[in-house]
Amino acid sequence: MAEYIKNQIELMDLLLGDDPQASLDWAKKTLGGDLSVTDFFNNIFTPAMAAVGDKFGRLDIFLPELMDAADRAQAISDQVVQPMLLAAGSDQEIIRGKIVVASVKGDLHDIGKNMVVLMLRVNGFDVIDMGVNVPPRDVLEKAKEVDADIIGLSSLMTTSMPYMKECVELRDGFGHKDDFKIIVGGASITAEYTAEIGADSFGDDAVDAVQKCLALLDGPA
Amino acid sequence: MKQHPRLIEVLQRAESGQIMDEADFERNLLGPEIKKLVDTYGISYSGDEIINCDDDLADRVFQAALDLASVVGVFNQSTSRRMVWSREEIERDLKGAPSVASLGAGEQQFLISARKPDDRNRMSVLGGVVGIPFPEEMYVPLLLSFLNQNIFDSIDGPSLETAYGQPIKAGTGWEVLGAWREAELVQEALKIAGQPGRAVSAVELAPTAMGGLSGVTWGGYRTFDRHHIPMTSELKTNNDLLAITTHINNIGGVIGAYYNPIYGGHAGGAEGIAILAAAGLILSHQLTIGHTFCTRPTHPFYGCDTTPELLWATSLALQGLARNSNLMTAALAGPAGGPGTKTILYENAAFTLMALSSGTSELLASHSAGGAVPRHGSGLDARICAEIARSMEGLSREHANQLLKEIVPRYQDDLDKKPIGKSFEEVYNLDTIEPTPEWQGIYDEVREELIQMGLPLEQFNY
Repeated sequence: MAEYIKNQIELMDLLLGDDPQASLDWAKKTLGGDLSVTDFFNNIFTPAMAAVGDKFGRLDIFLPELMDAADRAQAISDQVVQPMLLAAGSDQEIIRGKIVVASVKGDLHDIGKNMVVLMLRVNGFDVIDMGVNVPPRDVLEKAKEVDADIIGLSSLMTTSMPYMKECVELRDGFGHKDDFKIIVGGASITAEYTAEIGADSFGDDAVDAVQKCLALLDGPA
Repeated sequence: MKQHPRLIEVLQRAESGQIMDEADFERNLLGPEIKKLVDTYGISYSGDEIINCDDDLADRVFQAALDLASVVGVFNQSTSRRMVWSREEIERDLKGAPSVASLGAGEQQFLISARKPDDRNRMSVLGGVVGIPFPEEMYVPLLLSFLNQNIFDSIDGPSLETAYGQPIKAGTGWEVLGAWREAELVQEALKIAGQPGRAVSAVELAPTAMGGLSGVTWGGYRTFDRHHIPMTSELKTNNDLLAITTHINNIGGVIGAYYNPIYGGHAGGAEGIAILAAAGLILSHQLTIGHTFCTRPTHPFYGCDTTPELLWATSLALQGLARNSNLMTAALAGPAGGPGTKTILYENAAFTLMALSSGTSELLASHSAGGAVPRHGSGLDARICAEIARSMEGLSREHANQLLKEIVPRYQDDLDKKPIGKSFEEVYNLDTIEPTPEWQGIYDEVREELIQMGLPLEQFNY
């Protein structure tokens, strides 16, 4: 356990350090020893990324550092972890869930949405970010195309909130209620509004959104 | 018209600037440039002061903001083009910025003027909730809760949750109807208050140009009202906002530009926010050719602008602009606290002392409970701001800093607890438009604490 913690801290420091290559090199070196890739993923990589997310949640680091860390983690996943899992014939899931995220039609704000996207990525989600001002039908089509687990909708403006409702109605109307959970978020979104439009959950901020998405994955199908 | 050559130039740049990806603009251009400028100009937050008292530092922030504005420019989301002005063009246009603007009409007409740090000249105070969502039936009572106090120079309304009972949907006829309904309710409130010439900032509900344009056509808002034109974070505009800019310039309306950088975002911490807030207002002037330029740096998790870091960063940006230009800057108090809490009153008092001493032309108060919780705002929230502004003209930054060192500790530990307080109908009697005895009692208690600290608020009898 102490060795895991030491490695988690070492990886976290490299993900947030000045050298963009160092974390990838370290992962390759660490996995070159006795450590199994499953052990690395479950006990070092995932906790280290969660710790990076926690640091942003406390604003010990800022968005640029979070983005860099997410990119470096992606490189470790793509270039080291996934090939080794494939080679080992492992059925270990390295993605906790797939989520399509968009700021709904009429809303061009993206910083809050981008923070949520990054926090989800560093916490092991495969995130398809559709950007801003996205029509409800496009969101639904994308969710079908990528076989998403969750749809995440953001709206900072009250005038865009009806498009969240429209997205829920389209999902249900086209018979996909059991296929995709919908989580909503944004400055004016409340638990009451979430229930009113039939969405499955709402995230109060980027940190809360991650917890709610994890809960949606664990919840009843 | 005199300003048309610049307006045409703005519209041309929106169609002809460098094409680039939006993510590249933020991540590979804006973020690294801010980081570089923080180092180049030696901008550093120590936490020793809450309000900046160092003129040289304020001037360095202004120079860094000019660099940032000229290197990065504004991203037009509609055309994926970057609109850029050279440093020389920006400095030339800043020199031509208006230093005074008239708002309102008749007995309610007033002037906003450019100010300097530690200035004895009057800081205007706007009272309102600046877009907090409210239901139709509370719209007029809420506006009256500000108007009836007769202490605010102008007012600003909430965002309507519905129009004639129907949800308002961006980019549809509902948005147009919402803008008209808003103008109708504002005029009803002004009539009841007997203040027909009181300037209102509008259109509150205009996610696209549909609302922004329809609300200011004949029979809607007036040319002596002020017209909101925001810039999206960070440093972004779009063709809808440019269309509103074009229309308001053509009708000779007073433009109130607005920009809120996000703390912890692409700008990083307090140092980057100081530069970005100043650059954002400079670029807002390039884009809108406007009159007043409001900032409200925002904490990503608390939704407020009253943490010590943000007060420091905002004071630096405002002082840099005030010392080096004639821009009429404005600042929006954004407390985490809401109606019925002591927290909001401490936060609003602290923010007002910062704005007043830092050379701000106008204070907007307040974006209560972070500015986004439906029905969480009331007229009494902002009274403390107006009382301080009217009784402490000439306040020095040093004195303000001393006061903030007493006030900030009284609310700082509450900011992460979402102290949103109570909704309007829980803190006001909607028939008499009076605060409840409980809310008035809390206000009087905090006011007395401030008087004990030396704020001369006892001169206000009500």
